[in-house]
Amino acid sequence: MIRFDQVSKRYEGGHEALSQLSFQVAPGEMAFVTGHSGAGKSTLLKLLGLIERPSHGSISLDGQSLAKIGRGGIPKLRRRIGMVFQDHRLLMDRTVFANVELPLVIGGVAPAERGRRVRAALEKVGLLAYERQLPATLSTGEQQRVGIARAIVAKPTLLIADEPTGNLDPQLAVEIMGLFAEFQQVGTTVLVASHDLPLIKRMRKRVVVLDHGRLVADIAAEEVL
Amino acid sequence: MSAQQEAPIVAEPRVERSRPRPVASWRDHHAWSAGASLRRLMSRPVGTLLTVAVMALALALPLTFYLLLGNVQKMGQALGQNQAVSVFMQPGQTGPAVEMMATKLRERADVASVAIKSPQQGMDELARMQGFSGALNTLDSNPLPYALEVLPKPEASADDVARLVTDLRALQGVDLVQDSGTWRQRLDALLGVGNRVVLILAALLALAVLLVVGNTVRVDIASRSEEIGVLMLIGASGAFVRRPYLYAGIWYGLFSGLLAAGMALLIEMALAEPVTRLGHVYEGKLQIGMLPLWLLGAVPLAAAVLGWLGARLVSAWQLRKAA
Ligand SMILES: Nc1ncnc2c1ncn2[C@@H]1O[C@H](COP(=O)(O)OP(=O)(O)O)[C@@H](O)[C@H]1O
Ligand SMILES: [Mg+2]
Repeated sequence: MIRFDQVSKRYEGGHEALSQLSFQVAPGEMAFVTGHSGAGKSTLLKLLGLIERPSHGSISLDGQSLAKIGRGGIPKLRRRIGMVFQDHRLLMDRTVFANVELPLVIGGVAPAERGRRVRAALEKVGLLAYERQLPATLSTGEQQRVGIARAIVAKPTLLIADEPTGNLDPQLAVEIMGLFAEFQQVGTTVLVASHDLPLIKRMRKRVVVLDHGRLVADIAAEEVL
Repeated sequence: MSAQQEAPIVAEPRVERSRPRPVASWRDHHAWSAGASLRRLMSRPVGTLLTVAVMALALALPLTFYLLLGNVQKMGQALGQNQAVSVFMQPGQTGPAVEMMATKLRERADVASVAIKSPQQGMDELARMQGFSGALNTLDSNPLPYALEVLPKPEASADDVARLVTDLRALQGVDLVQDSGTWRQRLDALLGVGNRVVLILAALLALAVLLVVGNTVRVDIASRSEEIGVLMLIGASGAFVRRPYLYAGIWYGLFSGLLAAGMALLIEMALAEPVTRLGHVYEGKLQIGMLPLWLLGAVPLAAAVLGWLGARLVSAWQLRKAA
């Protein structure tokens, strides 16, 4: 479970990107973080992956305080989190298969097992046929799905995505969000940052609304109209 | 894509994931890194070949010097074996007198043997040499004196031989004493300098190899900062990110070392013929000195270590900067 307790983040030389933010996400829950550009959505996700550290307050993940994790412990934490980025961040000089395989190599999974899991993940996002191709030969939506396969292949307990549909047309965006909902249904905690309100409403999941770094609304799934 | 059907990929019990296999996974990591870096080098063959060739030349240079030095040394030793001191008697010294002197000399502790060369023997020897026979025919009488070939004991030091030569010069009836010991000493001294030069050269060029690898890896890391960032984001440790670059250093070193050993063998083959010909001039006592096999094997290994070291130094510095 994710727990933010009075978390503030001030970037060097900047104003407060997050301000006394407190909320929790239960294990297996799916939540959207929304708000205008600059509201602090990306910052929130970066704090979870220890890409940034909070200026004040504390964050814990599955009962473990992130403040106690030193530089050496960061890789281990990140292996528990699957991250999806708006620009997918695939390695363009490696095949789809090799990209999805990376987290398993890093995690020390045996080679035979890796092949099985990569194919299962690619099948899940509907791209098994493309495993030998380079990402550049794929469409934007397909590239994003490879990014998602890479994020889930090592079976993370937490999946976080920053504007995963930002570059996609509405039809594809719905498809991608559907994928996240599927991962939630099988027990993964999912946190998605997005400013696409119509899409978020369609998903009928919990919505955390930020404005200038402050939490201004926390709407339960049942209350989403 | 129904969630129910595909559920196992995410829903499998998480215990299964964390089964520890430290040694096997360490080995897998290394195999993966070694393979990945090798494929990366092969993917730009021209650049890799140029780097390897530059490094190989740097390694081959001291090897070649070492080879030359070894041959000069052998040559010196071969010549040292006929380190006889030639004693030319004054004209007019008779056979019996020379015979008596030889007998006395043979009693000396520092003398191995004494051979007498009569004027006639000297003349015959000269006649056998090309170009002399014609000239000799014009002589009415034999102008050559008696000569003694005094061979010092093999264990005699340069000083012992020098003392022997002084004694010989003082003997009655001796005209000229010719000693080959001095140039041996000079050659040995020169070889000593040469050995030192090879060592210094090897050290400098090893440094060059280190710098070449270091710079290649530096450029490589700089051009892959994005990839490194992605790897870090998905949980790669610093050691994991760094490992392919260390292997790249090892590959560069190994390949350049093998190429350098190959070049040295070719140079050796090219030298064999002229050195052997030179050997015939010295009564066939000379054979080409070859690079020892252990050295040819050690060069690629040492170069691999150098490559690893260069990559290690640079990657530590570069990745700290990137983090
Ligand atoms: N690395 C940074 N350095 C300084 N300011 C930053 C940095 N990243 C984000 N900010 C600022 O923090 C605020 C929140 O940014 P961000 O979390 O990216 O918002 P969002 O993702 O909701 O658009 C913005 O005002 C932004 O300019
Ligand atoms: Mg953002």
